[in-house]
Amino acid sequence: MDTQSYLSVQPGVGMEENFLSLDDILLSHEKLPIRTECTFPRLGFLEKSSDSQDITEGTKMELPVWLSKGLYEKKRRVLSVETPKVYREGWRTVFNADPNVVNLHKMGPYYYGLGSQMLHFDSPENPEIAQTLLQTFIGRFRRIMDSSQNAYNEDTSVLVEHLDCLEKTLFRSGQSGLNGFQSWEKGQASQLTASSLVLNYRKRKMTDAQP
Amino acid sequence: MDPSEVEFLAEKETVKIIPNFSLDKIYLIGGDLGPFNPGLPVEVPVWLALNLKQRQKCRIVPPEWMDVEKLEEMRDLERREDTFTPAPCPYYMELTKLLLNYASDNIPKADEIRTLVKDIWDTRIAKLRLSADSFISQMEAHAKLDNLTLMEINTIRSFLLDSLNCMFKLRSNLQPGSSKAQFTDY
Repeated sequence: MDTQSYLSVQPGVGMEENFLSLDDILLSHEKLPIRTECTFPRLGFLEKSSDSQDITEGTKMELPVWLSKGLYEKKRRVLSVETPKVYREGWRTVFNADPNVVNLHKMGPYYYGLGSQMLHFDSPENPEIAQTLLQTFIGRFRRIMDSSQNAYNEDTSVLVEHLDCLEKTLFRSGQSGLNGFQSWEKGQASQLTASSLVLNYRKRKMTDAQP
Repeated sequence: MDPSEVEFLAEKETVKIIPNFSLDKIYLIGGDLGPFNPGLPVEVPVWLALNLKQRQKCRIVPPEWMDVEKLEEMRDLERREDTFTPAPCPYYMELTKLLLNYASDNIPKADEIRTLVKDIWDTRIAKLRLSADSFISQMEAHAKLDNLTLMEINTIRSFLLDSLNCMFKLRSNLQPGSSKAQFTDY
């Protein structure tokens, strides 16, 4: 297990986002389908399909999460957000039936994160969305645990294909625990090896510098 | 925690050795180590025993639990029970690895012992995963597991804690309005 000289900031808890977390920043770039409730004058360039100067009321377009969250207000004067396909009734029954067969990477790599952010937008289905997220996670947990704790020294790309980003982090931590134990058992833990930082920087060695 | 750290903690356990040199009682910070007389068994910590063995100054006597019949009984007991049975020794995995690497000539039937200990380890890890799975799927608040050794806890620690964190995040979604925007400092 290599020591970590760089500890990345974790994604935020539940409905909050961590400002400095790279995962959350990438997540907030995902697009949400929205419907405008008022006109946006002179912003027509944002909407690629029509050529008008401003965006009229009632246009359906896609905005990233960070913009939608900023513009959304309880009084709904500005825009209203529709739930994306994956969080709607149809897909929810699929998830409740068997969470293991779904390819969460294809459903948007940030299924859990985006789902948590969706709850900001006061849709009437919010409790069900939250419940489905939790149940999907619980259902898939067993498979992630088994695959991460048993795949030693193998190519794991097949196992990781269907996981979304949150699950991939979990898989990696399971792998690191397994690798640490196995390398200790083989006796590699007591051998001195060059640190990965030094190898990456490729510092000039004394022997190279001398003529 | 690294497995090497767990091994370091395991080296504090005592083991019997038979030295072939003589030395008066030595007074160390951790405790006294009794006078060494050639041919008479004395209890020392594992770190000292391994050091002396490597310098060919002693012979290590295998601990009581490191015996083929006893380990076979433990393995069968472990397979029959659903909960964890008391482990042969709080650090059985580490001591097996250390003693069998450095002192296998002093321990009879070393290979069989290695296989038996591995079997016991695999059974216990399987039980641990099963209980972790039921812990998460039933969303319990806390669980109690007896008779786990530090090494077993160590292999599953980071994964279990991360997944419990994820579950906490997803569960906090179910209570809207309890999370207000907070600014964390880094």
